[in-house]
Formats: sequence, structure tokens, C-alpha cells
Amino acid sequence: MEQIIEAKGLTRTFGDINAVEDIDFTVNTGSVIGLIGPNGAGKTTLLRALLGLTNCDGHISVMGSDPRKQRAQIMEQVCFIADTAVLPRWMRVAQVLDYATGVHPRFDRAQAEDFLRTTEVTLDRRIRDLSKGMNVQLHLALVMAIDAKLLILDEPTLGLDILFRKRFFEQLLNDYFDGERTIIISTHQVEEVQNILTDVMFMNHGRLVLQKHMSMIDEEFVEVHAVGEAAARAQEIPHIGKRSILGGKAFIYEGIDRDVLAPLGELRTPSVSDLFVAKVGEA
Amino acid sequence: MSDTAKSRTFTLIQREFQEYKNSFVWTPVAMAVLLSLVMLVSVMLAGRITIVGDAMMQVVMNEDSASGMNITIQIEDDDVAITTDQEVAVAGWVIETEENTSEEDWNFSKEWRFNPSTNPKGPESIDSGMDNLNLIPTVIHFIFLLALFFVTSNYLLGTLYDDRKDRSILFWRSMPVAAWEEVLAKLGVALFVAPWIFIALSMIVQLSMVLLMMLGMWRLGKDPFELVLGNIEFGILFFNQVSGWILTAFWIAPVYAWLMLASAFAKRSPFMLAVAPLIAIVLLEELFLGTAFVRTAIANHMPHISDSGNAVGFYIHAPNWGSANYLSLLLGIVFTAVAIWLTIWLRKYRWDI
Repeated sequence: MEQIIEAKGLTRTFGDINAVEDIDFTVNTGSVIGLIGPNGAGKTTLLRALLGLTNCDGHISVMGSDPRKQRAQIMEQVCFIADTAVLPRWMRVAQVLDYATGVHPRFDRAQAEDFLRTTEVTLDRRIRDLSKGMNVQLHLALVMAIDAKLLILDEPTLGLDILFRKRFFEQLLNDYFDGERTIIISTHQVEEVQNILTDVMFMNHGRLVLQKHMSMIDEEFVEVHAVGEAAARAQEIPHIGKRSILGGKAFIYEGIDRDVLAPLGELRTPSVSDLFVAKVGEA
Repeated sequence: MSDTAKSRTFTLIQREFQEYKNSFVWTPVAMAVLLSLVMLVSVMLAGRITIVGDAMMQVVMNEDSASGMNITIQIEDDDVAITTDQEVAVAGWVIETEENTSEEDWNFSKEWRFNPSTNPKGPESIDSGMDNLNLIPTVIHFIFLLALFFVTSNYLLGTLYDDRKDRSILFWRSMPVAAWEEVLAKLGVALFVAPWIFIALSMIVQLSMVLLMMLGMWRLGKDPFELVLGNIEFGILFFNQVSGWILTAFWIAPVYAWLMLASAFAKRSPFMLAVAPLIAIVLLEELFLGTAFVRTAIANHMPHISDSGNAVGFYIHAPNWGSANYLSLLLGIVFTAVAIWLTIWLRKYRWDI
């Protein structure tokens, strides 16, 4: 599979603080990656480095180009949504479409208008008069009308209610993702996206804590729900995380034979959020 | 330029005008309407409100001066008589009126005698546009350009700051537009596009004014073609105003570039960032070095309203190609290039507030 992103020794410092510290990673075409980390972990800085929005040290290549030097060129094939409130509030919807039509060679205005017709967003409305949800719909309409290879979403549904969030990710998956495009999503609502992810990346304190394909998570991590005396025995086996459950405890193990754990209780693959808490707590 | 590049440039400029429509479109339009209304009312009440009336009279006086003619206007109520004597040349202006103080001011039952002196500036002073009817269009143009400087300064201080403040820069950055394209488009709007809107509207108002003056003269029973059209040098006015802006653009470019740099760099107030360091540098230079290079440089590149006696920089009403300080102009262009380069760098990498 073709690599769309390659980063080696990626570092970004702000004064004495390493927002991103010596990160190596690659992203293959057709992936849907969940970038997960606590506030201040460096997710946004990492995404901005990929987009050429911040200076950084190290090697970085997006579709074969260095975003620090060829940002405008890269943005012809890369879309991003930073958050729900970044569309210029003084603009009308039609003006946003005019602008995209004028500067983006891969933007299909008719497609954007078709999408908007399914929403309550009309062309004559000012963006400042749109609700947060409508803002996201407009932004999504723009993004979906751009024939891009890479879509980067940095907390795209922040502040939206559950209905809008669900619709957003459904539309993203059904109407946008085609198996050839690549999507990187940074979000706190891990549970809502984990079903659409092909890969996860965990970040903490500027470092990459984990980068795995979802199928590898199945193979490498296991969660045991142990109750009673089994919980005490499970506790003795080296684990990376634990949490209380009804009547017992759940332990997460890394790189352990499932047969060893089978007698201790029900085995399952840990959820991305539980795995994240275990790994980041460990770090 | 390819069609795509043209469309792209047009879109970038259009976006500026959409955002700053009030500044660049409605402000000059409102000024044009207001000035036209004032002139219309002046002409309708010609003589009573003397803005236009006095100026026209003065023009007649000045024109007479320039041509060495004597003009006497006698107005007896509704009767108007103008006599001229080209052979009389009297030093100094004398305006004699009948001492009919019981009459109201608006009563034109007076005799105005204009005995023009030899113009001390010589015949070339006509070309300055200040000694004949060109004065009024020039004043109108001056008002438009003054407004333009204020509006543009305000635009430049906000244009690279406001979108960082409301984070909409993230949307602009999501489009395939390079920082240099964005910055140069904004500078282009400030230096070339917006000025031509103001200049075009200024010219429309000037033409309106000419027509209204002709109407006013006609109402006073005078020959509007001779007294108005004969006293306006349209060619010189047009040349001064068009070529004047080209020179002005070169002079003002470093100021505009500095304002953009402040806008791109500011975390709180672009205005303070634009002004405070300059004041500090000027004071420190004068205090420690006893020189005033920075102050002179700044003064050179700020529009001068009137001739202060020092032939530096440029004047709003009539930039002078002949006496321009081209070294200062060149240094200003170099400063502009450096400031724009820094602005682009900041726009690329240091846009977070």
C-alpha cells in the first residue's frame, strides 16, 4: 500500500516545551486513523505540522512534498477541518462557495450545493447566523466537494450534540470515504469513531505512545473481566491497565497468550478508549 | 497570466472587497453622494451659501490674474454685467464694493472690481492646479484621498489580525492559497485596487461639480462654458490625479507594508504595535545619537497635507515627480520588500494568537 505521509524525528518546540518530540510514523493510503490524546498532548501541533501550518524540525513528507515549503500545492489534495467555528463569520454561504470555486482547482461547486440542499443551510445565509451544527454541515459540504486524497479533521465535532456528531461521521464514512482516500481524525469522542478506524495513534506529552492497525489491537491486546478470586489472580499477572467493573475488575494485557487468561474470566478486545487510558496512564 | 491565475487573483481580491465592503465601496460612495448633495444645495442656493459661489468668484479672479485680464462684475439685483480690459494690469487685488451696508449679504447689488496683479509665481503656477478653477476639483480629490488613507490604514491593521483572532485563518489556510499570494493580494488591494475606486468616484464627483458649477453660472446669467470649462484644465487634473497616485503608491508602500507587518505580528493591538516601536526608535535615536534619520524617513513616507517648506516626501494633492527624493523612495521600496517578506513568514508560521 502506498505511503501518503512519512515523518521522521518530527519535533516542534515552543520555548522550553516540546509540543511534539521526535515522532516517527507513516500513514498508508486508504487508512482512517484516530489520533487520540489528552489535552496538550501535541495532537493539534502534529496535525498542523502535516499541514504546513507550523514550522518544525525533522523530516516530513505528505504525498511526496514537504508541507513546510509546498503547503499551497499540498492543499490542492489535502482538506482539513480544524473545528466548528473557523468559517469566516462575515461571509455568506454563497461567498464561501465562490471563494472555494475560485481558488481550489478540485472543488466541485455543484456537488457542494447538492449536499447543502439536503440541509437547512441556504446560500444566502450569513455564517454568523448559522448554528454550530449547520456550520459543520457547510464545512463538510465544502470538504466533500473537493476531490482530495487526504482529509485531516482536528476535533471536527467539538461542541456539537450527539445527533450532529453521529450524522457527521455517518456522512463522512458513507459519502466521502471510498477506500482510496485517507482520513486522520483527532477527537475526544473515541467511542463514536472507533468503528470507522483502521488505525489508531495515541499521543501523550508530545510523544507517540502507540501506533497500531486495528487488527493488531485484536492480536496484541486483551481485556479480562475477572470477578471474585479471579480478579486477585489477574492482578498478579503484569498488565498495562485496570478498571473497576460490576462485581470485579477489568485488566488489559499486552502481548500475552490468551490461553493463560482464559480461565480468569471473559476475554475481549479492549475498546480504544480503555486502551488509551491504559497506555497513557502507563506513560 | 493564465485564465486560472486571473480567476484566482480575482477571487482573492473579491474576498477582500466582500469583507471590507463598507470601507472600500460604501465609504467612497457615501462621500460622493454627500459631496454631490452639498454642492447641489450650494448651487441651488448660490450666493447665499457661498462655498461654490465664492470659489467660482475667486476662480474668476485668479483666472483673470493669470491671463492679465481685468474683470469687473456689476450686479444690480438681477442685472449682471461683466466687463473686461485686457490692457490694464494693476498690481494687487482690489475688491471694491458699494458701502451699502443696509443690504443683506446675499444681495448682489455690488460692484466687484478685480484688478489682478502679475502672478508672482509666474505662468507655470497655473499648472499646479491651485490658481484657477482646478482648485475645487483638487480639493475634492484631496478629501477622497485623505479618506482613502484612513480607510486603507484601518484595513491593513486588521486584515492579517482579525482572522487570526477569530481563528478563521484556519479556513483560509485550508485552501490551496500560499501566504505570499494572500499577502500580496492584500497589499495590491491597498495600493492599487481600492485607490482606483476612490479616484474614480472622486473624478465622478469632480465632473458633477463642474456640471453644477456650470448650472450655477447659468443661473447667475453668466456663460458657463467660458467661465467654468474655460477655467478648468481637465488634462492636467486627470494627469495629476492618475500619475499622482502612481507616485503616491511608491511613497506610501513602506507605510502600508509596516502596517501589514504589525497586523501579522500583533497579539493584541496592531495599532499599538505599529505606532509604539516607531515612537520609541525615534526618541531613542534622538536621545542617544542626536540624529533624526528615522523620523525623517517616516516623515518622507507619510502623506503631507500642505507644503511645510521642506520639500520632502509627497503631498496628497499633487505629488511632484520632478522634485521627488528618489533615494528615499528607493530605500522605502527596499524597506517594503523586507517588511512584506517578514509578513509572509509570519503569516506562514506564526499566526497563532
